Amino acid sequence: MNTLTIEIKDSLAIISLSRPDCLNSVNMEMLKELQSQFEQLRSDEAIKGVLLTGVDGHFASGGDLDEVRHFTPLEAIAFAETGQKLCSLIEAFPRPVLAAVRGYVLGAGLEIALACDYILADETAQFGFKELCYGVLPAFGGTQRLPRLVGKGRAKEMIFTGRLVGADEALRIGLVNQLFPAVSLLDDVFKQLQKICSYGLLSLQMGKEVIDTGAEINLQAACKMERDAFAVCFSTADQKEGMGAFIEKRKPRFSGR
Amino acid sequence: MDQWQLLHTEIRNRVGYLFLDNDQRFNTLHSECIQELRAALTVLESESAVGCIVITGDPGESFAVGANIAEMRDFTSVEAWDFSQLGQGLFEQIESSTKPVIAALNGITMGGGCDLALACDLRLASERLQIAHPGVKLGIITGFCGTQKLPRLVGSHRAKEIFMTSRAYSAEEALRIKLVEQVFPADQFMNRVSEYAEQIAQQPPMALNLAKKMLNAAENVCIANGQVMELGAFASLFPRSGHMEKIEEFFTKHAN
Repeated sequence: MNTLTIEIKDSLAIISLSRPDCLNSVNMEMLKELQSQFEQLRSDEAIKGVLLTGVDGHFASGGDLDEVRHFTPLEAIAFAETGQKLCSLIEAFPRPVLAAVRGYVLGAGLEIALACDYILADETAQFGFKELCYGVLPAFGGTQRLPRLVGKGRAKEMIFTGRLVGADEALRIGLVNQLFPAVSLLDDVFKQLQKICSYGLLSLQMGKEVIDTGAEINLQAACKMERDAFAVCFSTADQKEGMGAFIEKRKPRFSGR
Repeated sequence: MDQWQLLHTEIRNRVGYLFLDNDQRFNTLHSECIQELRAALTVLESESAVGCIVITGDPGESFAVGANIAEMRDFTSVEAWDFSQLGQGLFEQIESSTKPVIAALNGITMGGGCDLALACDLRLASERLQIAHPGVKLGIITGFCGTQKLPRLVGSHRAKEIFMTSRAYSAEEALRIKLVEQVFPADQFMNRVSEYAEQIAQQPPMALNLAKKMLNAAENVCIANGQVMELGAFASLFPRSGHMEKIEEFFTKHAN
């Protein structure tokens, strides 16, 4: 791999975007490598969760301008489609995916972070969409996921002005869920992921899926879908183990079955 | 009007109170409790002296927690489905009620209790609030609409954090992420809740009812249709339109 590093630790995968000579800007090669990594991890049942981060003090700057500026319209569509597919793959990943971000979290990089379950950052993080400054627009689902997360007015402000949003403001508007000290960000996020992944993996997966699918349909239909998923939980070993352990006041051992 | 076992009700200054009180440390939302809640709500809804309803666990330690785990552990999928259906029925009743329903979160609010709070129109919290959704620790997801209402209230990333980490959030955090609308000091909690609820209960009932209906509908309809519905609701609040006068004129003429 030329654009990523991957480390497996305690059944968790740590993927780092790694193009340090250009602030981890996103090119076609990185998209394809990410896609193939997430596809492999998806079919690997030993992997319980993914932490996505970037090397050298940055998550990712936007699309690689050296590559993007020469695109024909057809190449632009192929680039955007590949990015959108990657983001959908991350969003639908059947186990938790947390983004641990710092430094630049821009454009395509921010769109990839938005597709994760949620974003954790340190105080150096700066978020923004500079696409309009270059005469284009965010195209990896950013115009759709950002307003759903922070509201339409704030999303328009960020995309229209291209201004950078600092870590505190990002926390306040709900772009980031929690801030950690720069020295311990990766450790803190890793610990949080470890803790999450010690819970019932089937219920984590179902919870993710009903939240994401339910967001696209009306509330009444969504609640019925949730009811059915809830009922399915009661035919799993995880439910018997989880509730049994609670009653017996011991630590549960979930099998994901 | 206190024919209930697991709660009691009270009407004061146009506010109908529903106090959860099942005589245990935590108010569990088991089947009987949900059925009683539905019945008691129906009574308060039909009282013309009630303009606004408050559900609370005050002065107990909890607002409400989910179902009884010992009972739930042995549920089959079919029993779980029925239980979910029963709870969702209660929440539909709260949402379709013509009166605003306020959750006054006096303390521990977990699982199904959190879902009950989410079904209400507004959430007022005591500083003592501890709110959590610990389903993944038990190997389940909630079946009481929480996976749908929580992201609609706080956004999908925060909802996923709440479900995935299972951790308890304080009143201050809950306010910051907009999970609750107000936080009041613990020692004045019910007084402040009453003040707040009484102010809402003073509003004209028809306008309150329609505002609630419109705001709930806003979640499910496109903006163009929502605006058409809003026009209709707005116009219906005006007693005598030209059209009504024409109708009256017609009947007056034909009566003579």
